[in-house]
Amino acid sequence: MSTTATEPPQESQLSTALARDRLGVAAVVFFVMSAAAPLTVVAGVVPTGLAVTGLTGISIAFLAVAVVLAIFAVGYVAMARHIANAGAFYAYIARGIGRPFGVGAAWVALVAYNMFQIASYGGFGAIASPLFKDWFGVDIKWWVLALVCWALVAVLGVRDVAVNGKVLATLLVAEIILVVVFSVSDVLSPNFHASAAPLNPGSLVGVGSGALLVMAVTGFVGFEQSVVFSEESRDPRRTVPRATYIAISLIAVLYGFAAWSMISAAGSNVVERAGKEGPDLFFNVASDRLGSAALDLGHALFLTSLIAAMISFHNIIARYTFSLGREGVLPRAFGRTVPGTGAPKNGSLAQSALALVVLVIYAVAGWDPLVQLFFWGGTAGGIGVLLLITVTSIAVIGYFARNPEGEDRWHRFGAPIIGTILLLVVSYLAITNIATLFGVVPGSKPTWVVPLAFVVVTIAGIAWALILRANRPRVYAGIGLGARSGSAAGGFAAALADQQETP
Amino acid sequence: MASAPQLPLADDLFLTAHDTVKGKSLLSPATLGLGLSAALIAELVLWRRLDLVDGKLTVIDDRPTGDPANTAVLDQLLREGHHRAVRDWIAFLATGVAVDLTARRLARAGHVQRQERRGLLGAAKVFYVPTDSMTAGWPATRVRTSLGQGELLDVPDLVLAGLILATGLDQHVFVTLDARGRGQLFDQFRRRLPAMLQELVAHAEAAVGDAVMARRA
Repeated sequence: MSTTATEPPQESQLSTALARDRLGVAAVVFFVMSAAAPLTVVAGVVPTGLAVTGLTGISIAFLAVAVVLAIFAVGYVAMARHIANAGAFYAYIARGIGRPFGVGAAWVALVAYNMFQIASYGGFGAIASPLFKDWFGVDIKWWVLALVCWALVAVLGVRDVAVNGKVLATLLVAEIILVVVFSVSDVLSPNFHASAAPLNPGSLVGVGSGALLVMAVTGFVGFEQSVVFSEESRDPRRTVPRATYIAISLIAVLYGFAAWSMISAAGSNVVERAGKEGPDLFFNVASDRLGSAALDLGHALFLTSLIAAMISFHNIIARYTFSLGREGVLPRAFGRTVPGTGAPKNGSLAQSALALVVLVIYAVAGWDPLVQLFFWGGTAGGIGVLLLITVTSIAVIGYFARNPEGEDRWHRFGAPIIGTILLLVVSYLAITNIATLFGVVPGSKPTWVVPLAFVVVTIAGIAWALILRANRPRVYAGIGLGARSGSAAGGFAAALADQQETP
Repeated sequence: MASAPQLPLADDLFLTAHDTVKGKSLLSPATLGLGLSAALIAELVLWRRLDLVDGKLTVIDDRPTGDPANTAVLDQLLREGHHRAVRDWIAFLATGVAVDLTARRLARAGHVQRQERRGLLGAAKVFYVPTDSMTAGWPATRVRTSLGQGELLDVPDLVLAGLILATGLDQHVFVTLDARGRGQLFDQFRRRLPAMLQELVAHAEAAVGDAVMARRA
């Protein structure tokens, strides 16, 4: 292969062609933000959270969580450069702590992401139902609207996925512009009195701080997806870290500012108003500076924001399930795609089936779609992701303790240790504040069902990993390597693996 | 490999991956590209021009094969000898190179005809329409029939079957295959497919999974 030695150096076609497909910082930030769904958080989670918890220190919580996540991200993106299947928390946990915990984490993540996804159906139904009455004079039950969305997402999920990305990106830009415009108009409103409450650092140590922090974490979910592109980015050492920090900062500033201006413009009885007006609070406080057309546009975008969130979480779940199926951590059938489109069909169908069951249960039981599905579901998912981030942070320390090559002390120990301590504190506050978060009596059912569910799922995952270790050692060895590994993958590799294990 | 009357491996995969009448691809463009890339590399392994060990390709014989499609790949490998990772080569050839080389070879042999059709939006789309649907359907039929009758596949057909699984084409080609036939195929992969080609097909499959995860498929 030394025939090139005498020729003049020329542009490598291979390098050029591969570089063309690589992603820059903007593309990665865009992708991460699309899962974050700004309007859903600012107009949905924040006012509902105000009403349910009565806490107003949300802006400082966004900033505090941003700092914690940025410190966590230092070790997280560093480890992403060294492992396959970055982007899935369980891959870090499998490599840094052990494969059984990895499988437990994989299943917890599946539950948490599903909570977000299904919560968005409740939010859509609850918000769209009064709007449809207002716009078209038709009275449609929330669950009918939720089921229409469900059908849309189910169909898009098993079809071509490339189109979805462009639509999501357009919606995202519109949403961000709208949040900024509405927030600025809050500030210009005659009722605006700059409130110190949303930025009061005291609320981070006071009663209910855990509830605020969980709400804030919920707003950031999706940032962890940046590392999916570690191997696809132009410069693995720079692109992904930069995109991650930019996304975290953008989210913190956008959400923090929007929440602050809304609370400041709503007046001293903001909690009461949030309870009465619900998600409309965000639109109402900005209304006197903006015409009714702006409000209608805002409402319409709010609904599309929720649809974007449900589609994007559906796709994340379907791909995650695909990856687990390829590894053999879930049944192999989930590791299949539609040949013509590459859509991970079975993972998509399973998610849709689960969502349908939950929606039917809520509709039949007559539970409240906004508080009990959208807010509880979303924040319970937030707790799940918070716990995963915390364990992942520990895993980063564990991994670099054994594989110190290629990273300096700050990336290996400094940041991960500080991050882990902070995350442990946040997790402790979150678990002990669930009653405040859900707005229920301490000790009542929802306060222990949610943590217990995560514990049960973790234990089940660990048990499954141990079963795999005993019966299918090749599959066990591949845990955490994802769809990328040559040892554990789809039909062909599975054929080789299964043959060798069943004599 | 030259004695068999069958077409080169990548041609067989190309025909298997397309509708035998209209020439519509059964795979997404990304998956088709990855499958054909692996097939062209496999042809060079079968021609004893390339070795694949631990994910790295090495040219062991730089003489042209006489076939323009895989010789073009061989030339490129020789020109860019500093790139050896098989996953990079699969990814590179999948950017359109492999599809182009294979389609041209099939067109030259008269098996397909290039056609441009305008879609609703006016964008021209290129189709390679098989001149004879029997010939076009033959590779898939041959593999399926052999497996159904419990016969042994030759090595190129084993690679073809492996790439059919790796690209997900088995959902079209192997639907009628029963558990016993599947078991026999898997057994042949393990016993009769050389380690290099096992590794190559596994890399192709991992690349397909990769594309799905990164939303490129």
